[in-house]
Amino acid sequence: MTRVRMTGGRALLPVALHQDARNIAPWVALISVLSASSVLGYRLVFTDPAEAVALGRTVAANPALALIFGPARDLMTAEGFNTWRAGMLGAFFAGLMAILIVVRNSRADEDSGQAELLASSVMSRPTRLGVAVAMAVIAATLLGLLSWVLTMIFGGDPTDTLFLSLTFAASALMFAGLAAVTAQVGSDARSASTLAIGILGSLFVLRGYIDAVDSPEWATWVTPFGWLEHVAPATENNPWPLLLALTTFVALMAYAFWLQARRDFGQGLIAPKRGPARGGWESTLPGLVTRLNAGSLITWLLAFVVLGFVFGFVATAVGEVLQANPAMAQALAGGAVTEADLTAQFLSTVLSLAGIIAAISGVQVAMRIYAEERNDRVDPLLAGSVTRPAYFSANAVLALAGSALALLIAGSVIATLASDQADLGWGQVFGQAAATIPATWVLVALALAAIGARPEVRLVGWLGLVASFALTILGPLFRIWDWILGISPFWHVPNVTAAAPDWSGMAWLALALAVLTAIGFVGFRRRDIV
Amino acid sequence: MSGHEDVIRVDGLVKSYGAFLALDGVDLQVTRGEVHAFLGPNGAGKSTTIRVLLGLLRADAGEVSLLGGDPWRDVEALHQRLAYVPGDVSLWPGLTGGQAIDLLGRLRGGLDEQRRARLVERFELDPTKRGRQYSKGNKQKVAIVAALASDVELLLLDEPTSGLDPLMEAVFQEEILYEKSRGRSVLLSSHILSEAEALADRVSIIRDGKVVETGTLQQLRHNARSTILATLADPPTDVATWSFAHDARLEGSTFTASIEDRDLNEALAALSAHGITALTVNPPSLEDLFLRHYDLDADKPGSPT
Repeated sequence: MTRVRMTGGRALLPVALHQDARNIAPWVALISVLSASSVLGYRLVFTDPAEAVALGRTVAANPALALIFGPARDLMTAEGFNTWRAGMLGAFFAGLMAILIVVRNSRADEDSGQAELLASSVMSRPTRLGVAVAMAVIAATLLGLLSWVLTMIFGGDPTDTLFLSLTFAASALMFAGLAAVTAQVGSDARSASTLAIGILGSLFVLRGYIDAVDSPEWATWVTPFGWLEHVAPATENNPWPLLLALTTFVALMAYAFWLQARRDFGQGLIAPKRGPARGGWESTLPGLVTRLNAGSLITWLLAFVVLGFVFGFVATAVGEVLQANPAMAQALAGGAVTEADLTAQFLSTVLSLAGIIAAISGVQVAMRIYAEERNDRVDPLLAGSVTRPAYFSANAVLALAGSALALLIAGSVIATLASDQADLGWGQVFGQAAATIPATWVLVALALAAIGARPEVRLVGWLGLVASFALTILGPLFRIWDWILGISPFWHVPNVTAAAPDWSGMAWLALALAVLTAIGFVGFRRRDIV
Repeated sequence: MSGHEDVIRVDGLVKSYGAFLALDGVDLQVTRGEVHAFLGPNGAGKSTTIRVLLGLLRADAGEVSLLGGDPWRDVEALHQRLAYVPGDVSLWPGLTGGQAIDLLGRLRGGLDEQRRARLVERFELDPTKRGRQYSKGNKQKVAIVAALASDVELLLLDEPTSGLDPLMEAVFQEEILYEKSRGRSVLLSSHILSEAEALADRVSIIRDGKVVETGTLQQLRHNARSTILATLADPPTDVATWSFAHDARLEGSTFTASIEDRDLNEALAALSAHGITALTVNPPSLEDLFLRHYDLDADKPGSPT
């Protein structure tokens, strides 16, 4: 490889870091808190070894948890619990953070034109990409350090916690490398980040599937997440897979710089085609809103077909998975639990999870309202005879309909694969998916309320997703009080498969939905357009 | 004929963003059928005023009436009767220029098809390119075509020609005069003074969120001094005694000064006593008027005093 010159990098890096610090800091903080909080929570809740054993049984009984968090190697210590709870999730979010940093600081500037000013100054060609990756490396280092120190403060073992923190940093490095490559391939920032996040998500789901079903040993080495699992903080503390991650980062970076040297500024590898001279279906307000969100919505709907297959296949394997676990096999044989119960429990967990993921697509549509506003593209629409409520509702309808459709797609695939498995009818599984829609809508409506009334606090839309995930998936493990669990809309979803479903939760969801949507509409009518 | 009906009437408009006072009591009247130039440098408050007129921003204080309605309240009804060209045109990256024109037209309530076709041709616009492929000037043309092809009473143009080449600038001026001949009213925000001079019936100059001067160009000129340049056969020894002459200078036989219109007779009488061989009197250009309000010439190093 020829020497890559970074002229101008020393001047650019501090400025870029200063500018982007506000975007990076929340990621570093949240992932560190994820780790620190599980050590603290474990020490508070699982004071008695018998309770930890019970936790182990709960986790073993629900393959959905292995799908999300990976295998639980040791739940008898706080560090082992932390590795299970924070390890894979932390690695996922660290990867996401790195992708966003690299694309935002390399490709997005080319689209907006800022980079043109930089590129015309005394700066070598690879500098901007180098600076973007350097920022991701700095973020990865800070994340490793903060999560290590913070978790130790809350009582984590120094060595075990160091290895866990290193897996976060390693994940950030690998996906920074990946984003550096996709930033050269995609024709703009949006497609570059979609491509990188798509690969990140696919690898995570693949890892989940491998962990949830009874897979052969080699399969656990297929994904980079699998490598990080083999570091096994708190049980083995094996440093060698980290080296593999570092090698991957270096290789991806070399490839990215090689690609970049062959690419035109502001262009990707795919040249845009000419289009129609006249407007068609997208020349109406609903058409335009659909057109603007079409790419990401289609990607989401396809992702939900895949998710449906993954969840469905795991559901059919629940029996085998449980038989493989001696304690569970015993409980099943003794008649303490039935396979049907456990499958139903699994389905309810994955449908809540699908509901939360579906809400992401809706929240994205809501956030797009503000992004278009920031890009000065809403002014000309509202200067036409489009009223604000009409503009807002076109987006709101798409956000709600898209997320509901995604959930129904996943639900029908899961129902088709898993319905005869646990003596549940197709209609019951699909019905449960449909009953989850109002909870998903509440999360989307939260984002709509923020965007409509106070876009400065739009982060609330994303926080709602994070909080629902924590409360719905993790809350029950910590045996948190019901009134706290009830903050998550998914807690109110009725169990459709029960003999007499309790529909009262739906009323609360409907109320929350109505209030939040109203706040969005009224707020959007009253505030200044940015 | 309601010749003196105001299509825009703004009284004491105040708008602040947090602690920053963007508009500090703007007064503005645009009469039906006129082209009204709204002049001011960057950041003076032109775009903020227009965005209040569009109902995008809510006025903190003051009276704003647009086509007889309230721009904040009567959005839908009013916007069917106006078209807008933003100064910074941002197109949808994935839509072609043609699609964007049709979208904006349809959202406004329809386009004049013949006019659309003629404008696309006159502005030499390729409607099949995507938004992200257009240069700055071509993005601007997309917005101009979309606005001019619609059948509306009022055009709100916010620095519409930034980025246009001189040929297209000329086409734009012809089209605006054509719009005026059809009885449309135009509010043209600009800092290109030649454009305003060529098109405007009346002018308002805004500075630091306040309109500091408004009127026809003639009225504005009347308040300002003309430049006089005379070659004299028998130059006087001292011009300091001529109280009508401001900034008076005598170099050899050439006399220059600026004078008020009302002192013109006195000046000519005084000069003719010294044998005028050549004389030019230049009315103040818009640039002079503009600079006068911004005190730029006073701050300029080495300017004549």
